[in-house]
Amino acid sequence: MILETQNLTKQFDGKGGFKDVNISIDSGMVFGFLGPNGAGKSTFVKTMVGLLHPTSGFGWINGFSIGTIESKRQIGFLPENFKYYDWMTGKELMKFHAELYKMKNPYKKIEELLDLVKLKGHENKKIKNYSKGMQQRIGLAIALLNDPEVIFLDEPTSALDPVGRIDVREIIKRLKDDGKTVFLNSHLLSEVEMVCDEVAIINHGHVIAEGKLENLLSKNTYVEMVISDYDSELIEKISKLAYDIVFKDGKLTFKIKDKDSIPEIAKIVVDSGAKLYQLNSKTSSLEDLFINIVGKDEDVC
Amino acid sequence: MLTITKYTIKEMIKKRAFLLIAILTVGYLFIYGYGLSLAFHSSNSFTGNVPDIGKILLESQLLSAGLYFSNFIVAFLIVLTSVGAVSGDVESGAIYALLYKPLKRYGYVLGKFIGLGIIITVYSTLLFLSVIGLNIAFGTKVYLELGNILRALFFFDLGPVVLLSLVIASSSIMSTVNTGVLAVMTYGIAMIGGILEQMGSFSTDATSQGLSNVGIITSLILPTDVIFRKMNAELLTQNTGLSFLAQGPFGGTSQPSPYMFVYIAFYICFLLYYGARKFEKRDL
Repeated sequence: MILETQNLTKQFDGKGGFKDVNISIDSGMVFGFLGPNGAGKSTFVKTMVGLLHPTSGFGWINGFSIGTIESKRQIGFLPENFKYYDWMTGKELMKFHAELYKMKNPYKKIEELLDLVKLKGHENKKIKNYSKGMQQRIGLAIALLNDPEVIFLDEPTSALDPVGRIDVREIIKRLKDDGKTVFLNSHLLSEVEMVCDEVAIINHGHVIAEGKLENLLSKNTYVEMVISDYDSELIEKISKLAYDIVFKDGKLTFKIKDKDSIPEIAKIVVDSGAKLYQLNSKTSSLEDLFINIVGKDEDVC
Repeated sequence: MLTITKYTIKEMIKKRAFLLIAILTVGYLFIYGYGLSLAFHSSNSFTGNVPDIGKILLESQLLSAGLYFSNFIVAFLIVLTSVGAVSGDVESGAIYALLYKPLKRYGYVLGKFIGLGIIITVYSTLLFLSVIGLNIAFGTKVYLELGNILRALFFFDLGPVVLLSLVIASSSIMSTVNTGVLAVMTYGIAMIGGILEQMGSFSTDATSQGLSNVGIITSLILPTDVIFRKMNAELLTQNTGLSFLAQGPFGGTSQPSPYMFVYIAFYICFLLYYGARKFEKRDL
């Protein structure tokens, strides 16, 4: 595991933050950390990168305890509320951060990263003259300066236009291809869905769902069937493999827990003598899943 | 730490505030020099072959006043440039991109202190030498020897370092506004305490002892004023033995004991240690 936490907790006077978070992330993964505003996402990231001290529990990055100099050598971080010294030019800012890493000859790397984040030609402008999006791009370049094993991106596209968002997505994919681990903190669900392998959903400081994205989504597969000549016995058989069964306008719709149930249900229908005219399966989006899980959690709270 | 020091110095130089300070300082020195030229050449300073003592006293007071207000300017420069040294980065969020890196937090605090300390010491030295230079250029009759000047310069530069240590420690713990209030108030208290102590030194009754005690207490809170008095005494009386030259509101009649300088060394180290330690444990 490149990143692991054990009952990691950060509370502010017993409130806010997050509690008992247990997460394990394999190397080379893009991990999405989702949650509504104030759920504890940024607090978790700040704790992982050593800006906040945990109240209790443990966390490791590449085997090193969080907050230590060794663990900090493994990471890159793009903060949500980014702000850089605006009296510097883009290139000076990169050089300053390279010097903080004690990089011997950073110029080639700086050029490479400026090119990656598409700021070539703007490197000699002062940061105070950068747009918000440009500042976010330079922040991303800074986060990658030390060639980190784990990159924490806290809302990395919040200030970017659609083209910028695509660029960031491409960069994340490239990092994954290079074997890097990306921890993506975002509430842009479509973005997470496009790039993440695994996700965790946090609400009120607690992780309420975690796993591979495809597994989480497959739990919410809807099936729509158009059948005729069926009887109650058939419905009873289907209900053993499905739930939330609704019959409306000649269509039978239900949810299944496992995609492998679909051929089994089709066989049951055909074997029962009913006529099967149409069968569609639709996997819910991350947004559906998120609303479903967070909504239920809100009901509980 | 050295990177933070280097870029703290760069920031001070690059920011226009520094240029403004330089221009205003030249203006201040010009007015001071003009005042000296009027005062020094208003009448003949010799009565036959004997220097006029009253004239020397006036010139020593002008020198002390020049240094006193220069010291005041340096103090305000510290307050204006350094109150947000650490807290400003925390409040703006610039700290997030710095301290997730393999950089010790105490290294960041000390780097800021050293960087600002270098800039302020250079400025303070230039201001001190300019004031002394103007007095010499206009033909002061106050005896100024190189040894005295260098010893006085040491104490003139020490005061700002003490104030800076308080400001950096406070900035590492509190907000920029609170640090500003703390710095101005403690500096003011030290200044008033110093003046009261000077007044107390003129007589020997119980009231004067009380005034001296007030001065000692305020010197313990912030020893900038007592350092200035020591500087003044080093410059004006140590060689000549003419203690009256260091009298007056800006003078250094009341001398701190050597233990006070042990306390000052401890004061700087303790504040930096305490500020850095608190900052280490702070949630950002």
